[in-house]
Amino acid sequence: MEIVRPTTLDDALAARDALPGADLLAGGTDLMVEVNFHHREPEHVIALRRVSEIAGWEGRRIGAGVTWTRMEKGPLRALAQLSRTVGSPQIRNAGTIGGNIGTASPAGDGLPYLAALDAEIEVASAGRGVRRLRWDEFLVGVKQTALRPDEIIIAAILPEVMPVAEEFAKVGVRNAMVISTVSACVMRMPDSTWRIALGSVAPTVIRARRAEELLGTTAAPRGSLLAEVADAVAAEVRPITDHRATEAYRRHASGVLVRRLVGRCAA
Amino acid sequence: MSTTSVLGGIVRRREDPALIQGTGAYVDDIKLPGELHAAFVRSPFARADITSVDASAALAMDGVRAVYTIDDVRDLGPLLAQVPVGALRPLLADGAVHHVGEAVAMVVADDRYVAQDAADAVVVEYEPREAVVTLKDSASDRVKVNDSLESNVLMSWAGPFGMEPDQIAEVKAGIDAGKARDDVVVVSQEMTNQRLIPVAIEPRAVLADYNAGYNSFNVWSSTQMPHALAGAVATMFGLPTTSVRVVAPEVGGGFGCKLNVYNDEILVAFASRHLGAPVRWTESRREAGNSTIQGRGWVATATLVGTRDGEIVGYELEGLADMGAYSQNFTVAIPFLGLFVGSGQYKMPTYWKIDCVATNTATTDAYRGAGRPEAIYYLERIIDMYAREIGLDPAEVRMKNFVPAAEFPAATSPLGFAMDTGDYATNLQALLDHYDYAGWRAEQEAARAEGRNVGIGLASYVEVCGFAPAGLADLGFSWSAYGLPTAFNGSGVVRVNPDGTATVVIGTGPSGQGHQTTWAQIVSDQLGIPFENIRVRHGDTAESPMGVGTFGSRSAAVDGSATYEAAARVREKAAKIAAHLLEASEEDIVFADGAAHVAGSPDSSVPWADIASVAYQPHKLPEGTEGGLETHVVYSPANATWPFGSHLAMVEVDADTGNVEILRYACMDDCGNVINPMIVDGQIHGGLAQGIGQALFEEAIYDEAGNLLSGSLVDYPIPTAGDLPAYELARTTTPTDINAMGVKGIGEAGTIGAAQTVVNAVVDALSPMGVRHIDMPLRPRKVWQAIQDARG
Ligand SMILES: Cc1cc2nc3c(=O)[nH]c(=O)nc-3n(C[C@H](O)[C@H](O)[C@H](O)COP(=O)(O)OP(=O)(O)OC[C@H]3O[C@@H](n4cnc5c(N)ncnc54)[C@H](O)[C@@H]3O)c2cc1C
Repeated sequence: MEIVRPTTLDDALAARDALPGADLLAGGTDLMVEVNFHHREPEHVIALRRVSEIAGWEGRRIGAGVTWTRMEKGPLRALAQLSRTVGSPQIRNAGTIGGNIGTASPAGDGLPYLAALDAEIEVASAGRGVRRLRWDEFLVGVKQTALRPDEIIIAAILPEVMPVAEEFAKVGVRNAMVISTVSACVMRMPDSTWRIALGSVAPTVIRARRAEELLGTTAAPRGSLLAEVADAVAAEVRPITDHRATEAYRRHASGVLVRRLVGRCAA
Repeated sequence: MSTTSVLGGIVRRREDPALIQGTGAYVDDIKLPGELHAAFVRSPFARADITSVDASAALAMDGVRAVYTIDDVRDLGPLLAQVPVGALRPLLADGAVHHVGEAVAMVVADDRYVAQDAADAVVVEYEPREAVVTLKDSASDRVKVNDSLESNVLMSWAGPFGMEPDQIAEVKAGIDAGKARDDVVVVSQEMTNQRLIPVAIEPRAVLADYNAGYNSFNVWSSTQMPHALAGAVATMFGLPTTSVRVVAPEVGGGFGCKLNVYNDEILVAFASRHLGAPVRWTESRREAGNSTIQGRGWVATATLVGTRDGEIVGYELEGLADMGAYSQNFTVAIPFLGLFVGSGQYKMPTYWKIDCVATNTATTDAYRGAGRPEAIYYLERIIDMYAREIGLDPAEVRMKNFVPAAEFPAATSPLGFAMDTGDYATNLQALLDHYDYAGWRAEQEAARAEGRNVGIGLASYVEVCGFAPAGLADLGFSWSAYGLPTAFNGSGVVRVNPDGTATVVIGTGPSGQGHQTTWAQIVSDQLGIPFENIRVRHGDTAESPMGVGTFGSRSAAVDGSATYEAAARVREKAAKIAAHLLEASEEDIVFADGAAHVAGSPDSSVPWADIASVAYQPHKLPEGTEGGLETHVVYSPANATWPFGSHLAMVEVDADTGNVEILRYACMDDCGNVINPMIVDGQIHGGLAQGIGQALFEEAIYDEAGNLLSGSLVDYPIPTAGDLPAYELARTTTPTDINAMGVKGIGEAGTIGAAQTVVNAVVDALSPMGVRHIDMPLRPRKVWQAIQDARG
């Protein structure tokens, strides 16, 4: 196994171009687990830690190499909330937003945030330069993305218009170090519309469009509207039953989470 | 002159600096030149016949030294078991596999990576067969777990203990007659006490080094029972025990999973002898799930008959306990430990029957509490249901049915066991008063009025520990299978060195219990030698006296008592020498502050260093006194000890998500006299965490084909600090009369007390909605589902 350690983006892209089958390594908190279980047996690894161009976070642009520990202390409320729920301090020191996007697990806790914001994923390759894809163009299936073999994720690009209120929460079997059974991110936008995104309840992170419509521009939804929203969410999600939870529970918990988060975001 | 007793005082753990600073050595830290690494080829099937094993590709790999199959080691025989009922484990699969993860072949190579890659290159052809995974299915004998078994039901433990079957049937008939009375209610519930994985943070690890010149083995193992392992290696290789030295260095948790001799330990020793090099193996977390022992795994029905005013007329427990595929150290004996405490703190006719059932899963054996948490769980859950049924406070029902304090010492439990000391009513009353139980109930009422689902759980327990050889040896618990003719003795060597310091050597195998601290306290208290000048050694069979290890909350009561006695005898001899030196009478000598003093004459004293230096110069000793200042005591307690206690929990359930939060957890434990309160508290903390872990989170989940679905820590959630409340601890003190220090044992009490306390609280919170029982673990999904089902 050969490991390439570029220090600039150009070198990283050149290595990516030269070794199309190589595995990209950021914090390694997903990759090494797969290697341990022989789900992946890398021949070449391109380590991205030293690539300064993807390590920074400026305004709307969160570099792929930004760790949960940094986001935990950042100014974006829901992003900080969700970052605090990822793994343990050790995992948060190593794990990155780019790795979370790269893995594209339905349970990736960073993804509902990006989905709710309609964020874009910026990728680049040596041959074709930079392109941006909206989150739902990028995340195409369970652990499947639109990333081409010569590309690297550069950053998550947040929109210019940011919410006035944003909340994240997840349900799992215990309080820390746990894979989400359901995760949800809810936002109230300046134009009074709502955004609702959920993780772990479909092959990819999803938006609960029907529930968003029901909420319309109601600033402080209450009573029967909240109940309707919860029902709509429960109907929109497409969860599975496995040894971690049943479909029925995931549907129900999705509705409950969204109802509570809407309550917290209400004006 | 002051006599400062360190017994009963908080002394900081001697072990912690090394553990915290990373300077302690675990097996994996010990490196020998030229060592080789083992890896195992493990079965992916729960039940299959093996048609061929082809190791040629593995053997052709660079750095691979050997690949062993059963043909290489069949002569050594199967793995030893203390109670050899059921199928014994062949060292490597012999033509068939009986659980996922069973070792089929062992590869030895220059490094661990090569060994693992080579293990993956061994081609095994399997002919899969139907696996039997669930208890009821197995007990029906529809399909055999193993062709060698006559029945999947290996044996059964019935009580009252010591009775003939027809007498037991009479007890049962008496309870059945009670059911027909018209002044009683009968409450019955089938409950699962799920299988658990012990999860020691340090996985198991072993390093073996054979010396051809001496025909002897050195073995380093992360084990709770170094002497038993040495005995097993000696027995299996046909050597005298002097030819095997086992060292258990720092051991990072055991909880019973290291209370076994494992095939990997024997195989690594075998390979070292065969290859002429040290060989090591360290378990992976996956292997810890699939091939190390698990615990619990009972499905049983508890039935309680009682009058409407709270008098229990009879109690029955009937069910099945999962043994897994092979019997190892104690396996089938674990439910027997449950029988000991099956009637808990109560005086009531009790009928008890648990069948030991094999399944095509990993072996089960002792996991913290071992049989006792299961037994207490069923009993305390059904008592709670009974209290609810008749509308009495659960504390009142318990109070009404306790074995009265007047029957102690040596009360006979309804299941036929002699219990040392106990005062259950005082203990429960102390719990209720100390924490203001009435106040808790008022708080609950207020919370309920706000629509919050707050519940309070109460549970009482007895434990039995510090096992004594009397009686047990006849039941087959003799360790003789391991070449240890010692039953459950304890031992201690106390040696005052020529400079007046003391060395204490014990035969225990601690894995975090703080023996270096506690034993130094015991000896310091006896001899007046300062704590800092006492060094406690354990874990090396070449220097430690014979002992069976650390488990069953036994070390303080048994080996501690042996050491106490050894120290007392050293003191007697030292008093003779001091009297001689001070020209005083022996009876007037008292020891304190590092010296012997003459009572009543403060200026007259001689320090330990002077006494010791004389002791090692026999010509200076009084006539008739032998040289040296050392005693070795082997001690057999007359009975086991019976700690007890009651716990209270307050929980809040989020009915929408099913999430359980423990708001408060309060204990009133009684483990007799306390040597070091901080260590006792620490044992309770850890024990509670494991009991709460069972109540809320943990479960070894198998699919129908016998695959362990929860084999990684992603799917096996042990509790983290964030999931646990700040425990509130308090104690009553009812010393035992079995040993001189009056100590009982505390290692497992937290675990035995906790699970049902939490479940009782959750059910209490949800009972207004009609929830009557939820099987553990009470994960959010299950709690929510139970609420849905109750609402209809
Ligand atoms: C104990 C533990 C707990 C965890 N808890 C959580 C949790 O609570 N919530 C959660 O969401 N996740 C959790 N994870 C998963 C993991 O930590 C996160 O997904 C993390 O964000 C991955 O980031 P990383 O930098 O470690 O990625 P890596 O493992 O380095 O990479 C992950 C994948 O992304 C690819 N990749 C990495 N960087 C790039 C890039 N710049 N361009 C293109 N592809 C790239 C890699 O090739 C790989 O396929 C946990 C993991 C562990 C081991």
